[in-house]
Amino acid sequence: MSHLGSLALYLAFLLSLYALVTSLWGGSRRRLDWVASSVHAAHAVFACVSIAVMALLHALLTRDFNVEYVSSYSSSTLPLQYTIAAVWGGQKGSLLFWTFLLTFFSTLVHVQNREKNRDLMPYVTATLMMIALFFLGLLCFITPPFERLSFTPQEGSDLNPLLQNYWMTLHPPSLYLGYVSAAVPFAFAMAALATGKLGDVWIRTTRRWALTSWFFLSIGNILGGRWAYEVLGWGGYWAWDPVENAAIMPWFTATAYLHSVMIQEKKNMLKVWNMALVILTFSLTIFGTFLTRSGVISSVHSFTQSGLGPYFMAFLLLEICVALGLLFYRLPELKSENELDSLLSREAAFLLNNWVLVGLAFATFWGTVFPVLSEWVRGVKITVGPPFFNKVNGPLGIVLLLLTGIGPIIAWRCASMKSLRKNFTIPLLIGALMGMAFFALGYRNYYAVVILSLAGFVLGAIVVEFLRGTRARQTMLHESPPQAFGRLVSKNPRRYGGYIVHVGIVLIFIGIAGSSFFKIEKQLPLQPGESVEAGRYLLTYQGIQNSEDAHISSQAAIINVFLGDQQIDTLHPEKRFYKRQQQPTTGAAIRPTLRDDLYIVLGAYDEVSGLATLQIFVNPLQSWLWIGGILLVMGACITMMPTPAERHALVLARSQDGAARETVTS
Amino acid sequence: MRPSDLLVACCVLRIAYRLPHVSWLMAHTLRLTLYASRLWFLVSGFSPSAPRLPFSVSRFLYFCFLLLSLAIPPASVFAVTTQEVEEALTCQCGCGLTVHSCNHLQCGFSVPAKQTIFDLVSQGKTKEEITASFASRYGEKVLSAPTTSGFNLAAWITPFLAILIGGVLIGFISLRWTRQRRQGQGNEGQQPTAPVPDHYRERLKEELESFEN
Repeated sequence: MSHLGSLALYLAFLLSLYALVTSLWGGSRRRLDWVASSVHAAHAVFACVSIAVMALLHALLTRDFNVEYVSSYSSSTLPLQYTIAAVWGGQKGSLLFWTFLLTFFSTLVHVQNREKNRDLMPYVTATLMMIALFFLGLLCFITPPFERLSFTPQEGSDLNPLLQNYWMTLHPPSLYLGYVSAAVPFAFAMAALATGKLGDVWIRTTRRWALTSWFFLSIGNILGGRWAYEVLGWGGYWAWDPVENAAIMPWFTATAYLHSVMIQEKKNMLKVWNMALVILTFSLTIFGTFLTRSGVISSVHSFTQSGLGPYFMAFLLLEICVALGLLFYRLPELKSENELDSLLSREAAFLLNNWVLVGLAFATFWGTVFPVLSEWVRGVKITVGPPFFNKVNGPLGIVLLLLTGIGPIIAWRCASMKSLRKNFTIPLLIGALMGMAFFALGYRNYYAVVILSLAGFVLGAIVVEFLRGTRARQTMLHESPPQAFGRLVSKNPRRYGGYIVHVGIVLIFIGIAGSSFFKIEKQLPLQPGESVEAGRYLLTYQGIQNSEDAHISSQAAIINVFLGDQQIDTLHPEKRFYKRQQQPTTGAAIRPTLRDDLYIVLGAYDEVSGLATLQIFVNPLQSWLWIGGILLVMGACITMMPTPAERHALVLARSQDGAARETVTS
Repeated sequence: MRPSDLLVACCVLRIAYRLPHVSWLMAHTLRLTLYASRLWFLVSGFSPSAPRLPFSVSRFLYFCFLLLSLAIPPASVFAVTTQEVEEALTCQCGCGLTVHSCNHLQCGFSVPAKQTIFDLVSQGKTKEEITASFASRYGEKVLSAPTTSGFNLAAWITPFLAILIGGVLIGFISLRWTRQRRQGQGNEGQQPTAPVPDHYRERLKEELESFEN
C-alpha cells in the first residue's frame, strides 16, 4: 500500500506540473481544450493525493512500523482516534494533509465554477496547482512520508502524549482548513490580476470562500486555546507562543478583509487594499506553516522541526513577488472612485477597523520575528513573550472592541447628529452603567472595568439593533415577535449573522478580562485529609487513586469540593505516564460554571507520606470565552446562508434550466 | 472656566490629596480630552453636515472627568510581588512559558528560580534588580519581554510607529477623499439643473437614514 502511496504522490507531482503548464497555456492562448485538460489533470491530482492519504492511513491502521512515519508517530497501543489523528500528527503527514485539503478545494472550486468565470478559471487552476506543486515537490523529494526503514521495529515510538487529546483530533484539521481555504480567494485574486477582469466577479465569487477560511481559522484558534487549557495544565489558554501567533495573524487580516470588502461591494472603493489583504492573508498562512515547520523560532508547538525552512522561505518570497508584481502591473486599472461623504460614517469606521486589525497583525508579526532579528543584528538571543504582546496588543484589542460597537450602528455615508443620538444613546448609557456598576462593586482594575463597560456598550448596540428590526417587522408586517425575529435574521443573514459574531467576540473579551484580571492562583502541598480555601471553594484532599492500562498509567488525586458547608463535587486531577514515550503529562481537573472555572493540577506526589502538591486556579468568567466561541461559529454559519436575492436567483436559474431542458426534449 | 483652569484646579486638588501619580493621570486624561475635542472640531470642520459639540456639552464632559478623577482611589503602595517578577522571566526548561506559568513541578529551572525570586523579594530587591541578576546569569533570553534600551527599543517602538504612520496615512487619505467629495458636489452645483429646495434634501436624507437603519 505504501508503495502505491508514494507512486500516487509522484504521479500527482507530474500531473500538477502538467495542469499548471496547460492551464497557463490554455488561458493565455484562449484554447478551451487545453483548459479543459488542465481541469481534468487537477481532478486527477486530487484523486492521487487522496490515494496517498488513504495509503498513509492504511499503514498507520495496520501498524506497518517499517514505514518510518508510522513507527515515529504511532504505536500498537495507540487508540483508534489518535491513530487517525497521527495522519497530521507529524510533519510529513501534516504536509500531505495540507496538500490533500488544497487539492480537494481545487476540485470543489472547479465543480462550483463549471459553467462560470471562464476567463478567470485557467489562472485559478494555475495558482492552485502552483501551490500544490510546491507541496508535492516537498513530499516527493524532501520529506517523503512513505520512507521505509532498513529494519522493522517491534514497536512504534508513539504519538506525542500532548497530542493525545480529543481536541487535538479537531484543532489541526480546522486550522489547516482555514489556512488552505485562504488559497482560494488568493487564487481568484491572482486570476483577476492576471486577466485584468478586476470587477466585482472575483469578489463575489470568493466572499464565501473568504468567510469559510475565516470560519475555520476561528474554530482552529478557539479549539487550540481549549486544547492548551485542558492539556498544558498551566491554567491559561493563550501564551502568545510563535505558533499561536502564526494562527492568529491570518485571522486578523481575514477579519479586516471581510469588513473592507463590504465597502468595495457598496461603494466600489478600496480595490487595491482588498487585493492586498487577500495576498497578505495567504502569505501569512504560508508564513504560519513555515514557522511551525522550520524551527526558526522555538515554540511549545515545535513537535516537528526540520530543515524545511529555506524551501518555505523561497516559496513565500516567490509568491509575494509574483503577487505584488501583478498588483503593481494592474495598479492603474484598480484606481477606484474613492469618496467619503463624511468622517462620521460607517465607511470611516471600517477604515479604522482595518487599521486596527492590520496593526494587530503587524504587532504580532513583529513580536514573533523580533528574536530572529535581534540575533541577526546583535547576535544576542532574546525572548519576546506574553508581557510584550499583552502590552502592545491589549490596548489595540480594546480599540477594536470599541469599534465593534460603533461600526454596526453608525450610519453609512454620513451620520447626522440626530441619527447619532438615536443610535448611540442607549448603548452608551448601558456601557456607562456597566462601568459604574463594576466600579461601585469595588473592581479597581481599570483595564477590566474599561473592557467590561465597552462590552456593555457593544452588547447594548446589538440588542437595540435586533429589537428595532424585530419591532419594525412586527408593526409593518404584523408578525409575532419570534416570527419577526426569525425572518429578520433569515432575510438579511449577512447583517444579523455578523451581529451574532460580534456578540461572540464580546463574550470572548469578557472571558479574557475575567480570567486574566481576576484569576486566583495557589500552589501548595497537602496531606490526605487537609483542606484549602480557593476563592469561594473549599477543597479537601482525600488521597491518591492509581490506575493502569496497556497504554497509560495514571495517578489521580481525589479532591472533594465544598461550597459553603455542602459538598458539590469530587475532582480527579491526574498525572499520566505514557509508557511508550516515557513522558509524564498533566491531566487537569476542570469544574466549569458560568461564574468561574475551578482548575486543579496535580504536581508532585510522594508515595511514602502521601503528600501531594496541588496547583489550584479559579478562573472567573472563563466559560464565557468558549460560549463566545460557539456563538461566533453560529453567527458565521448564518452569514454564509444564501440571502433572499441569491435564493431567488438560484430558483430562477433552476427553472430556466428546467425550461431549457424541456425545450430540448420536446 | 477654561479647560486649562480645570487642569490647574485638578492638580491643586490632587496635591492637596497628596496623590502625585493620580494627578499625573488626570493631567493626561484632560490633555487627551483637549486633543480629542480639537480633533473633533477639525473633523467636523471638514464635513459640512457633521454635528458640533456645543460648548456647554464639552464643559460638562470636563466636569465629568474632574469628578471621575476624584473618585479614583489612591493606589496602594506598589510593592513588587513575586508573581510580577516570575512573569517577567521565561522558563528555560523548554516549556516556552514564563517562570510563573511553568507547571512542571519538578522543573529544573522554574522551581529554584521561584525560590530565588522569593528570597530576593523578601530582601527588598526591586523587580529590575532581580531580573537584571537573572539576565546576567542566563543571558537576555531569560527576560520574557525585550528590554527598553538600545536595539530592543525597536521591538517596542516599531509596532506603535507603524500604527501611527498607518493612522496618519488613513487620516490623510480619508480627508482627501472627503474633500474630493465636496469638490465633486461643488461641480455638480454648477450644472444647469434646477436647484433642489433644501427641505426636499433634508427630507430625502431623513428618509434614507430611517431606511438604512
